[in-house]
Amino acid sequence: MRQILCDIFLFFQRDLWIASTYRSPFILEAIEALFGAAMFYYVARFVDSPALRDALPQGKTYFAYSLAGFVFFDYLNAALDTFDRSLQEARDAGTLEPLLVTQVSLPVILIGSAFYPFVATTLRIAVYLGWAAVLFDFPLHAANWPAVFGVLLTTLLAFAGLGVLSAAYLLLFKRGNPAKWFILGVSSVAGGMLFPVTILPPWLQLVARLNPVTYAMDAMRGALLDGRGILALARPLLILLAIGAILLPTSVLIFSWALRRTKITGTLTHR
Amino acid sequence: MPDHAIVLDSLEKWFPPALGGWRAYLQPFRPPTSPALRGIFLKVRQGEAVALLGANGAGKTTLLRILATLLLPTSGTASLAGHDTAREPAAVRRQIGYHAGSDQGFCARLSGRQNLRFFGRLNHLSDRIIAARIETLGERFGLGEALDRQARALSSGTIQRLSLIRALLHQPRVLLLDEPTRSLDAIAAADFRHFLKTEVLARTDTSLLFASHTMQEIELLADRVAILDEGKLLAFDTPTALRARTLSSSLEEAFARLTGRHLYSAAESTPE
Repeated sequence: MRQILCDIFLFFQRDLWIASTYRSPFILEAIEALFGAAMFYYVARFVDSPALRDALPQGKTYFAYSLAGFVFFDYLNAALDTFDRSLQEARDAGTLEPLLVTQVSLPVILIGSAFYPFVATTLRIAVYLGWAAVLFDFPLHAANWPAVFGVLLTTLLAFAGLGVLSAAYLLLFKRGNPAKWFILGVSSVAGGMLFPVTILPPWLQLVARLNPVTYAMDAMRGALLDGRGILALARPLLILLAIGAILLPTSVLIFSWALRRTKITGTLTHR
Repeated sequence: MPDHAIVLDSLEKWFPPALGGWRAYLQPFRPPTSPALRGIFLKVRQGEAVALLGANGAGKTTLLRILATLLLPTSGTASLAGHDTAREPAAVRRQIGYHAGSDQGFCARLSGRQNLRFFGRLNHLSDRIIAARIETLGERFGLGEALDRQARALSSGTIQRLSLIRALLHQPRVLLLDEPTRSLDAIAAADFRHFLKTEVLARTDTSLLFASHTMQEIELLADRVAILDEGKLLAFDTPTALRARTLSSSLEEAFARLTGRHLYSAAESTPE
């Protein structure tokens, strides 16, 4: 186990070295986050309406609601995107084959390569929320931080399986990420990212209830905006854990099969 | 310790046809119809150097990739240091150093040294050992300050040398090299062959299986030569025995006679 953690850290260190070779990426991202937070603030002031206020949770502004949804969506995007993107980058750079003949297994290579993007996404979200709290009165003081991190970790476990499935798809079909397309596409409407699902027509509300993203969004807003603790969020967290318990082992099995398949067809490193 | 570093037993590899576009989606699991290796029996002894010689598409790279656990055989078995490449890939990877012959394979924005350190650590070497070996091998391969330049700024020959150092860094028991001197200049290539001969093969128990089109390289390094043609092993013997068997004055001529290919066909067909 210690060796696996060391191997994962090596990938993090490599990606940190690579990121540090680019000029001022962190400064540009911080400025981008400032403009993003400002955009949400002014859009929220513009779209404020009695109907929307009725649909929002008690005492919440649309700015806080939509920004929390947006930054959390960024995290989901990372969970769904990172595994197949790391695989694709390694394949395109020609490093996949040399990595595969080292003493590190492909699942560890994937997890290791995904580690830095997750840390970077977490930092980006922190900067976003920091700007929003300092300049636009985002209610960061209300957050229950242990619960926020609990929700992030649970969401990561629940959706990482879909990320691994995307990586398996990439191994077999070389391009495309249908899990990301489907989940993020459906969730942008029926996931509660920018508006409460209660304003949707009944059939879309049913889709939202079947969509795991809705539960993750509810849990995150509960922890971040309402300051609810882990126990108060037990229901959505248990649903997410159940999704993870089914998806993760299934996706690892499918990924192993896809890997074996590409070793049979000789297309492991094909683009 | 097994007597043989590599054992191939009726090894076959067939590939499915490459389809693109919608046909690939409609027939994602096509049966293999293109033979790459057919019924190969071959044994490489501990400490032995064996060259794979064959025309393009003869199956040399496929054979090396099966041994490097990057491909699965269709039938038959390939074992390395007593471990089956299909069933015990992790154990096989602990024994090998693999050079793919490509001039890619490094993180473009990291220096040569950072790249080597990263791959060395993935082979579970300590930082101290990696640093010492990078210094020794870097000096031996004439890399000098190139080690501290980003990989994207290095020539293909320098990348090739880095790749060879990466294959040697963890001092593997079996070296698998695919055209190791392809992008090297004449002096660097000669130097590398000398290094392999005097410092890897002569001083250690390392076994070497390499693919090459350079007869001089094969003559210098190989104890035995495996001649492949269209996936079949036509002959496997010492260079001297191959020449004697085919009544040839050179290995090149022996290769041409065994494969039925004509030497100098381009020159002969040139109009006078």
